[in-house]
Amino acid sequence: MITRLFRSGLLALVIAVFGASCGEDGTSDQSIGGQPLTDAKLSVYVVNYPLAYFTERIGGSLVDVQFPAPGDQDPAFWSPDASAITRFQEADIILLNGASYAKWVDRVTLPASKLVDTSASFKDQYIIMPDAVVHTHGPGGEHAHGDMAFTTWLDFKLATRQAEAVFEALQKARPDETERFQAGLDSLRTDLESLDQALIAFGKETTDTPLLGSHPVYQYLARAYDLNLESVHFEPDEAPSAHQLSELQDILEEHPAAWMLWEGDPAEETVAILEELGISSMVFDPCANVPESGDFLSVMRENVESLGGIVALANQE
Amino acid sequence: MIQTLYLAWQYLSFHRLKTAILVTSITLITYLPTGLRVLVQQSSDQLTARAESTPLIVGAKGSPLELVLNTLYFRSEYPEPMKFSEVKRIRETGLASAIPMYIRFHSRGTPIVGTSFDYFGFRSLKVAKGRPLATLGECVLGSRVAASLGLEPGDHLISSPESVFDLAGVYPLKMRVVGTLTFSNTADDDAIFVDLKTAWVIEGLGHGHQDMAKPEAAGGVLKVEGNKVVANASVVQYSEITEDNIDSFHFHGDLSEYPITAVVAVPPAAKSSALLQGRFESADLMIQIVRPTGVMNDLLDTILTVQQFVVAGAIIVGAATLSSVILVFMLSLRLRRREIETMFKIGGSRLTVGLLMASEIIGVLVIGVVLAGGLTLITRAFGAVVIRAVLRM
Repeated sequence: MITRLFRSGLLALVIAVFGASCGEDGTSDQSIGGQPLTDAKLSVYVVNYPLAYFTERIGGSLVDVQFPAPGDQDPAFWSPDASAITRFQEADIILLNGASYAKWVDRVTLPASKLVDTSASFKDQYIIMPDAVVHTHGPGGEHAHGDMAFTTWLDFKLATRQAEAVFEALQKARPDETERFQAGLDSLRTDLESLDQALIAFGKETTDTPLLGSHPVYQYLARAYDLNLESVHFEPDEAPSAHQLSELQDILEEHPAAWMLWEGDPAEETVAILEELGISSMVFDPCANVPESGDFLSVMRENVESLGGIVALANQE
Repeated sequence: MIQTLYLAWQYLSFHRLKTAILVTSITLITYLPTGLRVLVQQSSDQLTARAESTPLIVGAKGSPLELVLNTLYFRSEYPEPMKFSEVKRIRETGLASAIPMYIRFHSRGTPIVGTSFDYFGFRSLKVAKGRPLATLGECVLGSRVAASLGLEPGDHLISSPESVFDLAGVYPLKMRVVGTLTFSNTADDDAIFVDLKTAWVIEGLGHGHQDMAKPEAAGGVLKVEGNKVVANASVVQYSEITEDNIDSFHFHGDLSEYPITAVVAVPPAAKSSALLQGRFESADLMIQIVRPTGVMNDLLDTILTVQQFVVAGAIIVGAATLSSVILVFMLSLRLRRREIETMFKIGGSRLTVGLLMASEIIGVLVIGVVLAGGLTLITRAFGAVVIRAVLRM
């Protein structure tokens, strides 16, 4: 014990002496992380547009919201370059969607103290995709590069909880502005609740109506509003291949859907092919990126109105 | 008076060997305790400063000293790992911010420090060249590491295997140097910094490999059962993380179960610190929370005890040497009796002769003390460098 302590003492002596060998270097250079919050606008970086919208609604003029993903890319699969990562690092708050959204987050260096996982409070409600490929090799054992549904905000109750997480992050950074943030949250919550109520009503009227999703992005929507929805992997700007159509026909045998929801306007050729199969197309934009016109709320209202069209047609039939 | 000093100087110059021995003795007698004190003081200041800037360290139960030395100085034994979930646990208390540390691997003899981006802000580290860490597989070098290895942003560094006999172990990771840090005069100058997740990749907990569903990986696939693919060890795993393959890198299992060696907890106030210590001391027997200042003070007490022994030894040796010097002077006076008588005979007063003898003795003492002072100043400025060079030989 004494020998060990003596050895440690000597080691510490040597270590400390090493550290004391030279003078100060007065270079003025780039700081890394940890800059104090000032009275300037809170710099908030986000990984998708819904979070940007929520933050702007809650923070108003007190926040400078930055969503650096290009408008023509899906933010879920976009990867920032080093300079974009540096800008994220310099933010006051970084809002993540959670649920494996934006997988680049796991592969970059971000200040953990600034990260806010807006869906952390409902992790137990994440939807795991059933068809993730599992593989085994080497000593690591069986594992899957798993796929988790991530468009959480299409369940507007979950979206509200994400908005509340945004509020908490802003409030923590600027406790003096809690009242203004609270007012923003209350207003947003009202809007989200009205969307939620509209979709609950839609779900009740279409419980048994089979629907199709052109892409597997509507899982939370389907679960929250009790939609009978199956998804394929069609791209809006590409006509489906023969293989994709064959898979669709297999699905239709068990799931005779008359409507397919699209993230964006599908190609005319695709619409025509689907019409031949008795499937009408309608756009339900998840609005993961900045819309060409309007904002998150207006896009979601348009989505709800479009769904209303299905109900109207169903009632006519 | 000037004549007296001139004669004394001529005497000392003429008896060079005797003067040199006496001066050396006086220099060593004076220098040994003061030089040692300077070194210990420097050590003490360094240890205290680093420890004082680190409020709390959380680690697995074990030696607090090893935990602190590993976390603060990246030296000492690799302490028992604990789960990454402890970071979340500390954060969720709301009592402190938590910076994970994983200090286990090395590259070319230099410790690789896996940590989060917050560490750099916490230690006020700045980038001198290049940029901060951005993605997996990148590293940033402390200033002394960059200088000693001659590396700059754009160069590469390969992690060292933990054991040369670990033939079945994970592949070393080729890391890209993206930045070098400014000199901080701390242990951070002697480390290679990577993101915590990069450290896990080095350990083999995360990896990138061919897409098992793609035709080029078919040779490594043993069987496919539904959505389950079983592959053999021939699947190509990447030993360098590049823009082209970074998307294939992934981690198996629950990250909260992954290992780290410590968490630096930074409470905003003394009250939060006390509350956090209370929670960890009472709640979990597998985890310890330590105040680095307390551990370092215990260590300094040990060092000071050692110093006191050394100083006591130096004083005893010094006293013996001083006695010898006095004896040399007394014998010298006896041997110079005829010379002194001659000085009286040619008209030298008792005072003049006394001043001459005293000047010689004082001259030797002054030269010895001045040299000792010079050595102490040199020790203050360069002692650490010399010790480091000697230890590296």
